[in-house]
Amino acid sequence: MREIIIAMILIATIISCKTDKKEVEKAGIPTAKTTEVTSINIDDFDLKAGDFVNQEIALTGIVDHVCKHGGKKLLLVSDGAKIHVTSEERFDDKLIGSEITLSGIVKEERIDEAYCLKMENDNIKNHSEGKYNNDDFKKKKKHIEEYRDEMKQKNVDHLSNYSLQYVSHNETK
Amino acid sequence: MLKKIRKWSRILHRDFGFFFIGTTLTYAISGIALNHMSDWNPNYSIETHNFTSTISLKKTTFVKNNILQLLDEIDDRNNYKKHYYPKPDQLKIFLAGGSSIIINTTNGKGMAEYLKKRPLFYQSNYLHYNPTRAWTWFSDAFAIALIMFALSSLFMIKGKKGILGRGGIYALLGIIIPILFLII
Repeated sequence: MREIIIAMILIATIISCKTDKKEVEKAGIPTAKTTEVTSINIDDFDLKAGDFVNQEIALTGIVDHVCKHGGKKLLLVSDGAKIHVTSEERFDDKLIGSEITLSGIVKEERIDEAYCLKMENDNIKNHSEGKYNNDDFKKKKKHIEEYRDEMKQKNVDHLSNYSLQYVSHNETK
Repeated sequence: MLKKIRKWSRILHRDFGFFFIGTTLTYAISGIALNHMSDWNPNYSIETHNFTSTISLKKTTFVKNNILQLLDEIDDRNNYKKHYYPKPDQLKIFLAGGSSIIINTTNGKGMAEYLKKRPLFYQSNYLHYNPTRAWTWFSDAFAIALIMFALSSLFMIKGKKGILGRGGIYALLGIIIPILFLII
């Protein structure tokens, strides 16, 4: 009996003494970095992101939203930009409304005809299985048409959606 | 031998059961809350307040003074955090605690959305999402304890109420139900 209590106290002590580097970073305490990260203006993100795919960049913006489903997505905004940031760790929802300088790796999602066809098939399947109602189905269909129209209008074979994979951040004052 | 196993099953089940009461309640409360995430916001209760203002909030270098003036009218300027313009005629003001205000800068019509943490649920949900590595270790220990609770329950009671009697029927039902959900 006494041994069990002692074991429980020991386990609790060991666990509570552990710290996590990522949590420290998220608390806004900068950790030492050896590599230089290119800073870009958030409003230029859509224009310049293509040059930095799979590279780390830093930009400053306001946290508009932290996903309530899991908290691993964040929307960084300015008057002229909206950037989706994903993370493997949860974001603290106290960040909402804060201005932060965030470092992240640029990720590209390519939307081409194959992507549209897959979306189309998924939409039909989900509708027939009852996962999408008529409104959802029509909305998705319209969305796919908009992608195709945009590609046609720009005379390109694909569109690129850029996002950031979270590395670290600091809150600006 | 079986007597010794039964004795230790009871001791471990009882003592770890006491130890993990808080953790069990944490996961149970947040489990219910998060199961119904699509029906409600499990972390915050939201109150909205519509208003109309005559203060000019169009985008200028000095708009912040006007924003603070607006907050004096409808909230408190000390709650101001940041602002930006999602659309040319729309201003979003962030307030402390996750609340926010959206206002149409052309007609002055706005809506304030006040968030209030749901006591108990907010804290339970926070822990449910593994906020730190240390908590992950602790919750792993809890999960191991749950396995231990299940296994020790097999030996705790002998006779017709034990695993070879009524307890066995309950245990079987508890295994069949999840399997049925997988099959159907």
